[in-house]
Amino acid sequence: MLALENVSLSYQSRRKSFDHGAHHVLDGVSLEVYEGETLGIIGRNGVGKSTTLRLMAGILAPTSGKVRQRPGKTASLLTIGLGFRPDLSGRDNAMLAAMLQGASPKQARSYLEEIKEFSELGDSFEERVKTYSSGMLARLGFTTALKTHVDILLIDEVLSVGDARFREKAAAAMKSRISGDQTVVFVSHMEAQVRDICNRAVCLHEGAVLAEGDPVEVLAAYGEVSR
Amino acid sequence: MDTMARMALRADATRYFLGYLWWVLEPLLYVGVFYVVFEVILHSGRADFLVFLMCGKLVFIWFSKSVNQAANSITANKGLIGRINVTKTLFPLAVIQEGVYRQMVVFLLLFAFLYLKGYPPHAAWVYLVPLILVNYLMIVACSYIGACLVCIVRDFSMFISLSMTFLLFTSGVFWDVRALGDPHKTEMVLAINPLAFMLDAYRQVLMHATAPDWAHLLQIACGSLALLVIVALVMRRSSQYLALRALS
Repeated sequence: MLALENVSLSYQSRRKSFDHGAHHVLDGVSLEVYEGETLGIIGRNGVGKSTTLRLMAGILAPTSGKVRQRPGKTASLLTIGLGFRPDLSGRDNAMLAAMLQGASPKQARSYLEEIKEFSELGDSFEERVKTYSSGMLARLGFTTALKTHVDILLIDEVLSVGDARFREKAAAAMKSRISGDQTVVFVSHMEAQVRDICNRAVCLHEGAVLAEGDPVEVLAAYGEVSR
Repeated sequence: MDTMARMALRADATRYFLGYLWWVLEPLLYVGVFYVVFEVILHSGRADFLVFLMCGKLVFIWFSKSVNQAANSITANKGLIGRINVTKTLFPLAVIQEGVYRQMVVFLLLFAFLYLKGYPPHAAWVYLVPLILVNYLMIVACSYIGACLVCIVRDFSMFISLSMTFLLFTSGVFWDVRALGDPHKTEMVLAINPLAFMLDAYRQVLMHATAPDWAHLLQIACGSLALLVIVALVMRRSSQYLALRALS
């Protein structure tokens, strides 16, 4: 459904560190996403997990290699925290996010009350996002993301923040979403989540694929390099 | 784009005690400052200096503020850009649209002021329609170029801001390009600086009921449109490169 073929990505850093200013994020990564599966991507901070999702979503282009996507299929990246405009209210941000993900103004408006209720933001939904705590941001981000309907759902750490009660509620909502035939690529730090939710997993290490296959085996490989 | 612009305007208005009043207060205060310096202190010598100044300054602010803000619009939205593959022209266009809403109110204020100062609406004011359209094309073309440059190298933000100050002094905002004494010099300024031509054309229409130089206006329109289309195509083709630059 979606494949990365020998994909590398590097960019010139503003600071002249690394390789004469070139920062190599991914180096020859190949992986495939099959229809209806939930693929987990794990790895330590900075190994290129989020960049991989951005390549899959078409936000970034690889420096070399190919990203192949079946024609007509849409992929959308769900992240939290980033992407909100701090000067706008939670309501406006939710509306904008829905519209940018393809909803018409009417559809986007119809989502808003549901988003307000699920996110438990109450009157804060009308307040500017810059007054939100990180937990509130997480709740708004997750709930807005939950409303998206796309062929491939790319999820970046959306279940890792917020308070414990909301995290459980969010995990349950996400599980019911991915239990159907939804194709999902899921990035997480939390090993238990990857074991619970994913059919298959990939471990990235130093910009390359370290292990790929059954989540339990891949988590074992991750355990060794993260020690 | 329009939704983004209207949301930003509403957010902007709620941020200040005087809210939407700032749409007219800000340009009026700018005009006030220039009036004090060039009329009260330096005695411009023109009987109609305030009208002359308002026709130029209010149009100049529309251009400079839109281009300045639009130039930083892609980098300002890097959070959104890292999340959604969206065409990058959306961000400068949304900022420009904010400016269009503001400028509609500012133009109404200008027309009311002209009426009070003895310049009642005239049939020639219909020439404002093509003038405003060409002005808009200029703003979009310059904003696209500025937004790309700032996204690639942030330092361009400083250059663009400095360029606006340069244009403020060289476009005949507070001096009359037709009063330079040497007709060749006037022609040269109007030919080299499209903004000087535009400010002068607004004054010719509003104060003297005279049509602009259509051939010159058409040249500026075609030049702006060509630039706009070329840069928009480049931005579309290099959307992912711009995203990488915005995020890195």
